[in-house]
Amino acid sequence: MNFDWTKDEAELIKRVAGLWDEAALADLAALETAALETGDGSDLAALTRKQIGRLAEAGAFAVAVGPSAKAETLRWMALMENVAQASGSLLLAAESSVRLFGGLLAGWGGGPLANLLGQVVSGEAIGALALSEPGGNQPQTGGRTQGRKEGDGYRVTGTKGFVANGPMADMIAVSGQVEGKTAFFLVQPGQEGVKIGPRMATLGYNGLAVSTLDLDHAFVPADRVIGPLADDEAVRFLHTVQDLILVAASLGVMIRTHNEANAYSRTYHRGAKPIYSHQEVRFKLADTFTLMQTSQLLAYRAAWFQATGEKEAPVLIHAAKVFTAEAAEKVSSLAMQILAGRGYVMGNPVERGYREAKFAALAGTTSEVARMSIAEDVLRRFPVA
Amino acid sequence: MDFALTEEQVMFRDQVLKFAKKEIAPRCQEHDLKAEFDWEAWRKMGEFGLLGLHFPEELGGGGADVMTSVLAAEALGEAGVDGGLTLSLGAHTYLCADTIFRHGTEEQKKRYVPRLASGEWVGCMGLTEPGAGSDAASLKTRAIRQGDAWVLNGGKIFITNGSIAQVAVIYAKTNPDAGHAGISAFIVEKGTPGFSVSRNLHKMGCRTSPTSVLSFDDCVIPAENLLGVEGNGFFMSMQTVEWDRSTLLAPFIGAVAFCLERSARYAQERVQFGRPIASFQAIRRKLADMKIFMEAARSLVYRIAWCKDQGRPVNHLEAAVAKLFMGDWSLAPANDAVNLHGGYGYCHEYDMERVFRDSRLAPIGGGTSEVQRVLISRLM
Ligand SMILES: Cc1cc2nc3c(=O)[nH]c(=O)nc-3n(C[C@H](O)[C@H](O)[C@H](O)COP(=O)(O)OP(=O)(O)OC[C@H]3O[C@@H](n4cnc5c(N)ncnc54)[C@H](O)[C@@H]3O)c2cc1C
Ligand SMILES: Cc1cc2nc3c(=O)[nH]c(=O)nc-3n(C[C@H](O)[C@H](O)[C@H](O)COP(=O)(O)OP(=O)(O)OC[C@H]3O[C@@H](n4cnc5c(N)ncnc54)[C@H](O)[C@@H]3O)c2cc1C
Repeated sequence: MNFDWTKDEAELIKRVAGLWDEAALADLAALETAALETGDGSDLAALTRKQIGRLAEAGAFAVAVGPSAKAETLRWMALMENVAQASGSLLLAAESSVRLFGGLLAGWGGGPLANLLGQVVSGEAIGALALSEPGGNQPQTGGRTQGRKEGDGYRVTGTKGFVANGPMADMIAVSGQVEGKTAFFLVQPGQEGVKIGPRMATLGYNGLAVSTLDLDHAFVPADRVIGPLADDEAVRFLHTVQDLILVAASLGVMIRTHNEANAYSRTYHRGAKPIYSHQEVRFKLADTFTLMQTSQLLAYRAAWFQATGEKEAPVLIHAAKVFTAEAAEKVSSLAMQILAGRGYVMGNPVERGYREAKFAALAGTTSEVARMSIAEDVLRRFPVA
Repeated sequence: MDFALTEEQVMFRDQVLKFAKKEIAPRCQEHDLKAEFDWEAWRKMGEFGLLGLHFPEELGGGGADVMTSVLAAEALGEAGVDGGLTLSLGAHTYLCADTIFRHGTEEQKKRYVPRLASGEWVGCMGLTEPGAGSDAASLKTRAIRQGDAWVLNGGKIFITNGSIAQVAVIYAKTNPDAGHAGISAFIVEKGTPGFSVSRNLHKMGCRTSPTSVLSFDDCVIPAENLLGVEGNGFFMSMQTVEWDRSTLLAPFIGAVAFCLERSARYAQERVQFGRPIASFQAIRRKLADMKIFMEAARSLVYRIAWCKDQGRPVNHLEAAVAKLFMGDWSLAPANDAVNLHGGYGYCHEYDMERVFRDSRLAPIGGGTSEVQRVLISRLM
């Protein structure tokens, strides 16, 4: 057992932490209100690409891409926590591109796609993954999107409800089926039969571009298709990666909102004293701190289970996802209570975190589905005596 | 960072679990009902080596690391051993015997540690007083040096094992004007004239562990019964907090594991509306929440144990976080376990109501949740 970071882990974390200078933080703040693509370098696409490029340069994408790099899950979690602390939107954009889209290519993409993987990991290209579908939460297979063989490729038809990076991606991996087997079709914006919906307005993570995606008999050449696959290992892998990303997103929300409320409570005076001097305020901070630390340790432990291939890893990851998501909602809510009116006004880290917190509980494996899956495992382990 | 347990640690934990399930747990309900200390279980735990796990072998201990001690304590809870017995063990081994081991002279160690480690003698620790609970440093019990002796006057309350202990580590003021630095620790043996146990308190939970009111009425003890350095007592008592946040918390985690196992099996057996209640999502949700709590709590408590094993001073902030989380978040899983068992959960035969009552101590004993919040908000 060792609760310290190793030297390598600590160095990587430090390198990534070093990225968030004043200029970068200003960019990340701008991201939250930026228009999608204006072409003047201050738009969402340009800002996101710039920061993803900087992350790549710092070595953030040199670890944990694809199933064979599973052993690096713990240091990946630490990295993500760091990015999430700076910006949850950037975390989701970068991870959707690199560990979801890129992870799929790394594990299941053949030779012709190696080049694309290289571009994604270096930050040159942005990827997206379209898995979930309307009317079907988190399919355990490719979903209802269908690919039919035609010449040297497939005609693909289907609808995806939410695609992070959709409006700005260079390439989107779309899950579907070919004769009952899971396959992923790589499509490009502008391609015939590929309709990327307008950027959605969302409650939180306003610096993330999300859209729907419709494929209407889109032709995808065979060298842009992963599969048909013999099993659903890839889908399971992607769900796990999604859930781990959302765990980190929740940690980011907690760190930002707790830190803000803590600092505020010591400088903001009511009467002659800073509000920190009141137990009603201070004890809330004790709770937010406790939830934050407990969440961090559980997240690291779940990541370690995944890294070492422990049998209980899926249970621990679901446990971490449920716990951290709910803790983030609680922490951001208490933090807002401390900032009170100032927290409620748009444009501060606490209201932003408050809006973002909800996402982790309803995205990826929802808290309900995660709890049912944990219970399933418990019931299997303790059958009737 | 690395969360691996060693093979020996896992093996020992499994041995303790098996032993406790067979030898100890079946006795607990009866003793809880009678609110009676279980001497037979105590003897068996002593024989198994559980009462002095971490002491060196030459003092009758098992030479185990702190992590192993935590895992053993967790395994006792998981086996279904009641919170009273694990509380008695905690107060005996970690609050009393360990304080003598850490601060005692060679003679004191030789006289007390082997007898306590084997379970031949029972130990207790007296810090809390009727007027000094959370603010322990305001204690009033007085120790005055008279020639070759110390004379103790005062009273203690809520002292685990008080009525069954041969050895008590007692904190008293040696210099009332020196604040924290005016507190010292003493060893008082049962039978010392002037030392008496006036009564045991009736409690809602942890009922097999006697909780006693102690009186010192011109109680004369030899000068050599001063434990450690005069004036160092408060610091010593704060050191025991490190145990309080690791080995004394671990049984509460184990108790949730016990609830989880019992509840999962019961839910698959119990049929209502023509199907096992395990088929209802509301039941499954409770099982999931118990599991989630358990895993969250483990990391916190293991971190304290690991820290101690590294020989590092325990980080008081981390210790308070562990205590607060265990205290305030452990009640929900026990509550859920009662409800999952329906009316049976409310009745004694099904253990769950006992676990529920026992776990209510978590946010009080060894420092209340409010006090943890004071500490956390100060240290963070
Ligand atoms: C901003 C945003 C970005 C996203 N980005 C992506 C992306 O890039 N790629 C992608 O693939 N997906 C993406 N998603 C989709 C996201 O992962 C889904 O929202 C999530 O999987 C939940 O699916 P759903 O919204 O269809 O909810 P539903 O499945 O319709 O669930 C509705 C409710 O019913 C509950 N429920 C469902 N089944 C059960 C059950 N068996 N037992 C108990 N309760 C149940 C759910 O927990 C939930 O509370 C994104 C979503 C959003 C909002
Ligand atoms: C079963 C049991 C076994 C025990 N075993 C031992 C033992 O072996 N040895 C021993 O020495 N002691 C023992 N104790 C005592 C235990 O440590 C104390 O009960 C505990 O520290 C609280 O003290 P108190 O009961 O006097 O409560 P008080 O300190 O009177 O507290 C009353 C309430 O006020 C709150 N409060 C106090 N100060 C503050 C503050 N600053 N801010 C906000 N709220 C505050 C508390 O949180 C609590 O809610 C035991 C207690 C029990 C119940």
